[in-house]
Amino acid sequence: MSIEQQYQARAKELLSGGAVKMVIGYGKGTTGNRRRPIFISSPDDVGRLVLDDSCIINLSGYLVSEGLLSDEKRVAVFLRPEGIRAINILAAESQLDADQIVIFGFDVNDNELRALKGIHVEEFADVIGSIRENNPGFADKELLEKIEKMTAQERFAFWQEEFAKCIKCYACRQACPMCYCRRCIVDSNQPQWVNTSSHSLGNFEWNIVRAFHLSGRCVECGNCDRACPVNIPLRLINHKMAVEVLGAFDHVAGMSKTQEPVLASFKKDDSETFIL
Amino acid sequence: MAKIGVFICHCGENVGAKVDCTKLAAAMGEHPGVAVSVEYKYFCSDPGQESVKKAIRENNLTGVVVAACSPRMHEATFRKACAEAGLNPYLCEIANIREQCSWVHTDKDMATEKAMDITRSMVEKVKRNNKLQPIEVPVTRRALVIGGGIAGIQAALDIANAGQEVVLVEREPSLGGHMAQLSETFPTLDCSQCIMTPRMVEAAQHPKIRLLTYSEIESVDGYIGNFTVRVRMKSRYIDIDKCTGCGDCITKCPAKKISSEFDCDLGKRTAVYTPFAQSVPNIPVIDKANCIYFKNGKCKICSKTCQCDAIDFAMTDTFVDLEVGAIVVATGFQVQNNSVYGEYGYGTYPDVINGLQFERMASASGPTAGKIQRPSDGAEPQTVVFIQCAGSRDPSKGVRYCSKICCMYTAKHAMLYAHKVHDGKSHIFYMDIRAAGKGYDEFSRRAIEEDEAAYVRGRVSKVWQENGKLMVRGVDTLLGRPVEIAADLVVLATAMIAQPDAKEFAKTIGIGYDEYGFYNEAHLKLRPVESSTAGVYLAGACQSPKDIPDSVAQASATASKVLALFSKETLEREPVVATNNEATCAGCWGCVLACPYNAIEQKDILDRSGRIIKRVASVNPGLCQGCGTCVTFCRSNSLDLAGFTEKQIFAEVMGL
Ligand SMILES: Cc1cc2nc3c(=O)[nH]c(=O)nc-3n(C[C@H](O)[C@H](O)[C@H](O)COP(=O)(O)OP(=O)(O)OC[C@H]3O[C@@H](n4cnc5c(N)ncnc54)[C@H](O)[C@@H]3O)c2cc1C
Ligand code: SF4
Ligand code: SF4
Ligand code: SF4
Ligand code: SF4
Repeated sequence: MSIEQQYQARAKELLSGGAVKMVIGYGKGTTGNRRRPIFISSPDDVGRLVLDDSCIINLSGYLVSEGLLSDEKRVAVFLRPEGIRAINILAAESQLDADQIVIFGFDVNDNELRALKGIHVEEFADVIGSIRENNPGFADKELLEKIEKMTAQERFAFWQEEFAKCIKCYACRQACPMCYCRRCIVDSNQPQWVNTSSHSLGNFEWNIVRAFHLSGRCVECGNCDRACPVNIPLRLINHKMAVEVLGAFDHVAGMSKTQEPVLASFKKDDSETFIL
Repeated sequence: MAKIGVFICHCGENVGAKVDCTKLAAAMGEHPGVAVSVEYKYFCSDPGQESVKKAIRENNLTGVVVAACSPRMHEATFRKACAEAGLNPYLCEIANIREQCSWVHTDKDMATEKAMDITRSMVEKVKRNNKLQPIEVPVTRRALVIGGGIAGIQAALDIANAGQEVVLVEREPSLGGHMAQLSETFPTLDCSQCIMTPRMVEAAQHPKIRLLTYSEIESVDGYIGNFTVRVRMKSRYIDIDKCTGCGDCITKCPAKKISSEFDCDLGKRTAVYTPFAQSVPNIPVIDKANCIYFKNGKCKICSKTCQCDAIDFAMTDTFVDLEVGAIVVATGFQVQNNSVYGEYGYGTYPDVINGLQFERMASASGPTAGKIQRPSDGAEPQTVVFIQCAGSRDPSKGVRYCSKICCMYTAKHAMLYAHKVHDGKSHIFYMDIRAAGKGYDEFSRRAIEEDEAAYVRGRVSKVWQENGKLMVRGVDTLLGRPVEIAADLVVLATAMIAQPDAKEFAKTIGIGYDEYGFYNEAHLKLRPVESSTAGVYLAGACQSPKDIPDSVAQASATASKVLALFSKETLEREPVVATNNEATCAGCWGCVLACPYNAIEQKDILDRSGRIIKRVASVNPGLCQGCGTCVTFCRSNSLDLAGFTEKQIFAEVMGL
C-alpha cells in the first residue's frame, strides 16, 4: 500500500469512528502538479486525499480558524516537519490545544515520500530535534551565498529593490500560520504606525515588522514566499532572523509545545544587568 | 481647542549658553495650539513656578510643556505647580533640552534647532495627554530588614522604636555581621563587642522585632507597601523553643577540628556550634556537612547530653510567608580572597594574614585571647609589615575602587600591635593615607607619632620566606629607593567586596547593582538610601564600602524613609499603568511571560450562559509598574500605557 492509501485508510477509520471531526489534507489542484488544501468531514470523501511530493503547503494555519477547535473535538491534519513545529508554536502560544490535533506526518527527501511515525505532536520530537542539529534551513543556497557576500549597502539596495515590488496585499500574512492575530498591527490606524500605501517607507515598515514578529517563531515552511504575488524572497529574511535568534538565544522555533517564546521570556541569571 | 503653555528655562547658563531661548520661545509661539510661549532664567525657582501658575490661570491652559532639564530632575516640581493652579498634573510634560541638547552640543545654531524639535515634539504629545488620577494602594505597616549586621540591627531598632513592626532576617546562626568579629574600633578604640552585643540583645528582645536567624529569603513579590516575602528557615536541628543555650552539646561534640568561619580559620569549632560565645540567639546549630551522625549515622552524643531534648535530627527547613510594606537591604560585604596575590604568599605562607584575621587575633574573645602571635609557631612577632591597598585601587588583580576603611583599620592595627607588643616594630606600605572623617586624621597621626608606626609610601612587589622570616621587598617612592624588610608577620589590608551572592540576591529582590555587585542607589547624591525599586532601601556596606559610623547613619536614614512610608494608611502611585484592548488581544500570553512584575493575568470572557468565548490578558493596575515591556512585546498592538499611549508617542515622533 502506498503512503497515500495508508493515510486515506487511516482518515476513513478516524472519521467513521468519530475520533476526528475533520481531516485537513491535500487535494488535486488546478494544474497537474499543484495541490490545494481540502477539508474532509465525511468518510466517503477520503478518496479525494492526495499525498505526493507536490504537497508542500503548510496546513497548520487552518487549525486556528475561528471556532474550529472550540468544541474540543479533534481534527486531523497532514503535516511536514515544519508544520509539526508550527503546531508546537501554536500550542506554546495558547492558540490551540495540541491534544486536539491528530497528525498525519510525512516528509520528502530526495523526491522520495516518507511517512513519519506518530499521531500527537510529542511523538515527533526526534524528527524535529534533528532539525535543530542539522538545520536544512534555506533551500536556495545560491541566493543565500550571494546575500551573505554583499556589503551592508548592497544588501540594503537589494532589499529596497525587492520591497519596492510589494503591493501590500498581505497574502504573506494570511498564508503564515503564525500570523493569527485577529487584528494585525497594520490594520490599526489610531495611530497608523505602518503606512498603508505601497511606497518604499510603508513597504519597508511592513516587511520589517513582519520579520520581527516572526523572529524566533518562523518555521521556514515557505507559505509566505509562495503566496507572494510579486515573488519577494520573504523566507530569506525569516531565515536570517532564525540564524540570529539561534546565535543570540540558542533558540530554534517549535521544538516543543511548552517552549517559551524567545522574545517574551527572560531569565533572572541573564548576563545583561538591565534584567534585575 | 488646545491651549498649550511653553515655558523655556535657561537653567542659568546651562541651557542659555548653547540654546537661543528667545528664538526658541518665538518659534514655539508660532506653533499651532500654543497659547503662551515664554522664557525665564530659572523656572524651577519660586517666582518661576509662580509665573507658570499665573499663566495657567490667566490663559486657561489645557497643557504645559516646560523645556528645561531632565524630567528626573523637576517633572515632579512642575506637575505639582500645575496641580496647584488647577491643571491636572499629568497634562504637564518636560522637554529635556539640557541633558539631551545643550549639554551635549557645541554649535549654538544647531543646538537651537534641536531644542525646537524636542520642544515641538513634546507640545504634540501634550495635546494628546489625558487627565490621570493617582492610584491609591494600601500600605502594610511592617518592615523587613535583611541582614543582621550593625546596619540591619540599627535600622530594625529605629523602626521598632517608632512603634512599627519589623522582621529581621539573618542568614547566619547569630546576629552581628562583621562588627562582631572586630577587636577594637577606630577612631575611638572602643571594644567592638562591648558596643555591639547590647544592640544585638536589644534587637532580639524588642517586642516589635521578630528575629529570624539562620534564615534566607526565598522570594519577594509585590510592590511598595505590599510585598509578599517567603523566608526559608534553615533547619538548625535544634528546637529553638526547647534549647536553653547551656552549651553542653558543644562541649561534648567529638567533631572538634572544624575550621571556624567566625575566627577566619584561625580557630576551631565543633559540629554543633554557635559562631561565638556571645551569639544572639544563644542557640547552636548543627553543621550537617561536618556532623559525624549525618556523615556515618553514628554519634548523637549531643542529643544524649542535652537535658532539654532539644536536638532533633529529623528537622527539615520550614518556610514563613510574610506580608511587608517596606524592605531594608543590609546584607553587608565580604573581604576579598587575597590568594589572587601570589607574590604576597597569602594562602602559601601561614604568617601572611588578612586584616580580618588580625582583628580576630587582637580580639580578647578571639582564638588567641587577644595575643598577637604567628599562626605558624605561635611566637610573638617582633616585626610586622602591613600592606595597604592589597586589592583596592588595583584594576589588574583587585578592584578599581578605594575600600575606604583600610587606611584607618591598618592604623588601628599598628596601634593595637604597639599596645600589645611594646618593643615590636611595625612598617606600613601605603599608596595614600585617606583619613577623611571625624577624628580620623588625628587617629592615623597618633599611630605614627605615638605608636611609632613607620609608614613607607610605595608598593610591595614580593614576599618570600627566608630563614624563618618573611622577606618583604618594596619600594619607598618618597626616597626613591628599594626597601627590604625581614618580618615575622605580614598583614594584608584586603579590599572590601560585595557578598559573593550579591548579584543573585539582587535579582531575588529586584534591585539594581553595579559592576562590582554593590547595590545601586536611586540617585547617588539625592537619594542615596533608596534603591531603584520603590519601597526597597539600602543600608550599610551592601551599597558601598563603609565604616561603622556611615553604616549606622545610613541605616537610620532608611528607617526614616520606612517610617515616612508607614505614616499613612495608603500611598499614592503614579497612574502610569498598562491597559489591554480585550477585543484585539490574541491571547498568546507573551505579555504574561514578559512582564517582570507578574502584573498580567489571564482572564476569561464569558457569554451570558457562562461559556468561555475568549481568553485575554488583563493587567492588574495594583501590580503594574508602568515599565512598558508588555507594550513593546504585544504583536497585536493590544496593550497601551497610560501617560505614554501610542497616540502620544506617535504624535511625539511625528512632531520631530
Ligand atoms: C578588617 C576590618 C576592620 C574594620 N574595622 C573597623 C573599625 O575599626 N571601625 C569601623 O567603623 N569600621 C570598621 N570596619 C568596617 C565594618 O566592619 C563595617 O562598616 C560594618 O561591618 C558594616 O556593617 P553592615 O551591617 O553593613 O555589614 P556586615 O557587618 O557585613 O553585616 C551584614 C550581615 O548581613 C548578613 N547577610 C548577608 N547576606 C544575607 C542574606 N542574603 N540574607 C540574610 N542575611 C544576610 C550577613 O550574614 C551579616 O550578618 C572594619 C572592616 C574590616 C574588614
Ligand atoms: S513567515 Fe513564512 S516561512 Fe515563516 S512560518 Fe510564516 S509562512 Fe512559514
Ligand atoms: S505577499 Fe508580497 S506583496 Fe503581498 S504584502 Fe507580502 S510581501 Fe507584499
Ligand atoms: S501579548 Fe498582546 S496579544 Fe498576546 S496576550 Fe498579551 S495582550 Fe494579548
Ligand atoms: S507595563 Fe506591562 S510589563 Fe510593565 S509592569 Fe505593567 S503590565 Fe507589566
